[in-house]
Amino acid sequence: MSSAPVPEGAVEGVGVARVAHFETVAQQRQAATLGIWAWLITELLLFSALFLVALVVRIEHPEATIAAARHLKFWIGATNTVVLICSSLTMSMAIAFSRMGWQRAMVRAMLATAALGGLFLVLKGYEYYADWDEHMMPFLADRPFALAETPAARLFVNLYYVATILHAVHLLTGILILLGMTWMAARAGFLARHQNWIEVYGLYWHFIDLVWILAFPILYVVNRSS
Amino acid sequence: MSRPGRWAALSPEDRALLKRHLRAPLLTFLALLGLLAVNVALGATLPFARVWIVELAVVTVMVAIILLVSMEVRKEPPLVRLFSALGFFWVAILVGMTLTDVLAR
Repeated sequence: MSSAPVPEGAVEGVGVARVAHFETVAQQRQAATLGIWAWLITELLLFSALFLVALVVRIEHPEATIAAARHLKFWIGATNTVVLICSSLTMSMAIAFSRMGWQRAMVRAMLATAALGGLFLVLKGYEYYADWDEHMMPFLADRPFALAETPAARLFVNLYYVATILHAVHLLTGILILLGMTWMAARAGFLARHQNWIEVYGLYWHFIDLVWILAFPILYVVNRSS
Repeated sequence: MSRPGRWAALSPEDRALLKRHLRAPLLTFLALLGLLAVNVALGATLPFARVWIVELAVVTVMVAIILLVSMEVRKEPPLVRLFSALGFFWVAILVGMTLTDVLAR
């Protein structure tokens, strides 16, 4: 990111409307940032537990995990990582534009972020379809699992679906919130009252990106090697 | 909607402002793409044994960049920095105690 949060009055038309239970706007900004971080920590622990289970599965069943990981769509995962890194850039741009008071550019950057999030979900959906086509969904009773001869592979593949679907749910929620916020942010006077909403939301988006930055190597990359 | 969207319509002051604000996000973007390229190349070619050690090291750098630059932890007040650090401290306890059990069996 480019610069620290805007001091009140530093840019014309950019600021935060103080609510009654805060003494100062600075205190209000800090409380909002602290609040989102408290929540992100719980999210971090949730995803970390899943990644830790992946590590334990790898330690306990190395051959089965490697066999399952080599069935994952490595290049779609890599492409999706690029898509999310691009979306982090557009989110950072939206925050920078909000601090500069460039409302139209900010709205466009937010829409671009939502579009990139949507592209990620489309690619993920295609990946799931390809997995289904290759019989890589062991939880489907009517579709024989491709790695049935290595039963422990089910553990890793099931974990892959839990982790990636949970991430996709977070991303979908993030896109919906972002579109709602974009609708509000396009209104006149938004930046004068709620500029820090963009910064607080940006933390959530960057966190979704961070989770995928961890998920891609942990699920797709490191388990390819023995 | 207050400012023109086209580069040509911007005043020299606006361009300088834009460059100043977008420099860090663009450099972060390029750094993340570069590090991802390293991991993808290693994952696709598997050039040596225990390549996962390098891959996880690269990921650690990527996570640090996102936390410190994109999420601006380096610019936050001490209490927010403490919160973000505590999150990873708890993750370290979670991973440490679990692996102590699994690896000691």
